[in-house]
Amino acid sequence: MSASARIRDLLRRTRRPMRLVGASGQLGYGVPTPAFEAALARQPDLIGADMGSIDIGPTYLGKGEMATAPAATRRDLRKLLHGARRLDVPLVIGSAGSAGAAPHLDATLALVREIARSDGLHFRLGVLRSDIPRPLLAQAVRDGRVHGIDDMPALTEQDVRDAAHIVGQMGMGPFRRALAEGVDVIIAGRACDTAIFAALPTMLDFPTGLAVHMAKIIECASLCCVPGGRDSILATLDDEGFELESMNPERRATPTSVAAHSLYEQADPFTVYEPEGRLDLAGAQYRAVDDRRTRVSGARWEMSGDPCVKIEGASRIGERAVLLAGAADPRFISGHRDILAAVSEVVRELVCEDQPQDYTLRFRVYGVDGVRMAAPAQEHAPGEVFVMGECIAPSAERAAEVVRTCKQYLLHHGYPGRLSTAGNLAFPFTPPEVSLGPAYRFSVYHLLHVADPDALFPLELETV
Amino acid sequence: MLLADVAQVIRSKNAGPRRLTLDVMFATDADYQRVAQSPALAREQIAALYRVPPEHVTVIPYPVGRAIKVVLARPIMAGDPGDFDVYGAQQHAPLLTVEI
Repeated sequence: MSASARIRDLLRRTRRPMRLVGASGQLGYGVPTPAFEAALARQPDLIGADMGSIDIGPTYLGKGEMATAPAATRRDLRKLLHGARRLDVPLVIGSAGSAGAAPHLDATLALVREIARSDGLHFRLGVLRSDIPRPLLAQAVRDGRVHGIDDMPALTEQDVRDAAHIVGQMGMGPFRRALAEGVDVIIAGRACDTAIFAALPTMLDFPTGLAVHMAKIIECASLCCVPGGRDSILATLDDEGFELESMNPERRATPTSVAAHSLYEQADPFTVYEPEGRLDLAGAQYRAVDDRRTRVSGARWEMSGDPCVKIEGASRIGERAVLLAGAADPRFISGHRDILAAVSEVVRELVCEDQPQDYTLRFRVYGVDGVRMAAPAQEHAPGEVFVMGECIAPSAERAAEVVRTCKQYLLHHGYPGRLSTAGNLAFPFTPPEVSLGPAYRFSVYHLLHVADPDALFPLELETV
Repeated sequence: MLLADVAQVIRSKNAGPRRLTLDVMFATDADYQRVAQSPALAREQIAALYRVPPEHVTVIPYPVGRAIKVVLARPIMAGDPGDFDVYGAQQHAPLLTVEI
């Protein structure tokens, strides 16, 4: 009998509260062993972990690469696989490989199969893919069923063709399908972090509002605690509420810390939108059980009459190369805006002698206004600055040509009042020019309205 | 008094790649009330501080978490060329010195 079938039977028979473990907020950056082992000792009914996010930017999605190091990712996956198999409970992992597209999912699956082979683990694996077929999406664009999120410009069929990868965030439905088939392990492509944890309890008729609220909190592991951290967290869910307890005894889940977690990376602390409906937290209540456990109740769920899927895609915009250098001359620092503009023009004249300007060259001056979206106009001049020049060009060779030329002319640029005629820049190392490979941007960040969202995410079953 | 002296947490982060969310959290209900009732974090003040139009700013009081949330439209989508803070985690700095 598979782990998912065993737990479903057990919970249906006993109708006892369900115990779920959020093992890691981002698998691949390390799962602390003491808290994870403490979680296993509590005999959970499900172990889940989120592995990805859109926060990391468009390049991982576009390039098909994981953000985490392979060795650390393998170590985390091994720890979770062994823990789940030892207890014979379902292990559910969402947003595989940081961004959840086919190359991320396949790289994660390769690690899972390799671990199983080397460690002699046997299990039934459910794989949920999240790549959105381009013809289907192009048709939806033509039908007017795709809308931008947060004022994102309208999606075009050209965008659909140009994107390197396009994924959709699956909701609870595909996970339920896998759990109903009978699996021990689910590895999903891009997924709502809530679906990882809420799919099984909602199959067992626990209230959806409570299950989704619980999932929204435990997908970040112990981040909802004081002090917040990445240790595993245990949630105990019943029909009226759920209780949260960090598996690191030094982290306390307090009513205020748990309530405040609803603010994290959310534009609206009272509402969470999911493909199937929306979570209403206006009536949520947080009560201390003791000084390190909090009980939560009151979240409500409203089914949507218009299901939709959040889709994400990244397209290549060129090749990126950067120049890294410092400066400490007060005259250079005070005149840097004019100097950088003049050097950009010199570079353009040189590298565009026999071809048009086909690149962009930008500078960020750290110490002045490299970080803040609105730096005050009048601030004391810093004693040192760090200058980063960034070029995006059609080819890696072209980007390297631009930043190397820029390096030489910025180093020796003669500006009015210059005293330091031997060089304007301090290089921390040479070469100070670095080629960073292809650059991407998010070209798809939209809602796809579709009658049956679950049908977008096919299930593959495999015996490992 | 400066906001940094009365708040327990002042942080920023993306809420999706096109929005920035700033959370100001307080240790006590009294601190929360003091700031929630002052005009220092009103929409117009935030807009001036971040040099964005007021219609790009939303201020949400969240008393159950003793917090005030501010949501801004990002001037550049996260990761687009010219972005300066892909995660949006360092855009809280202007709030630190707001006078309460």
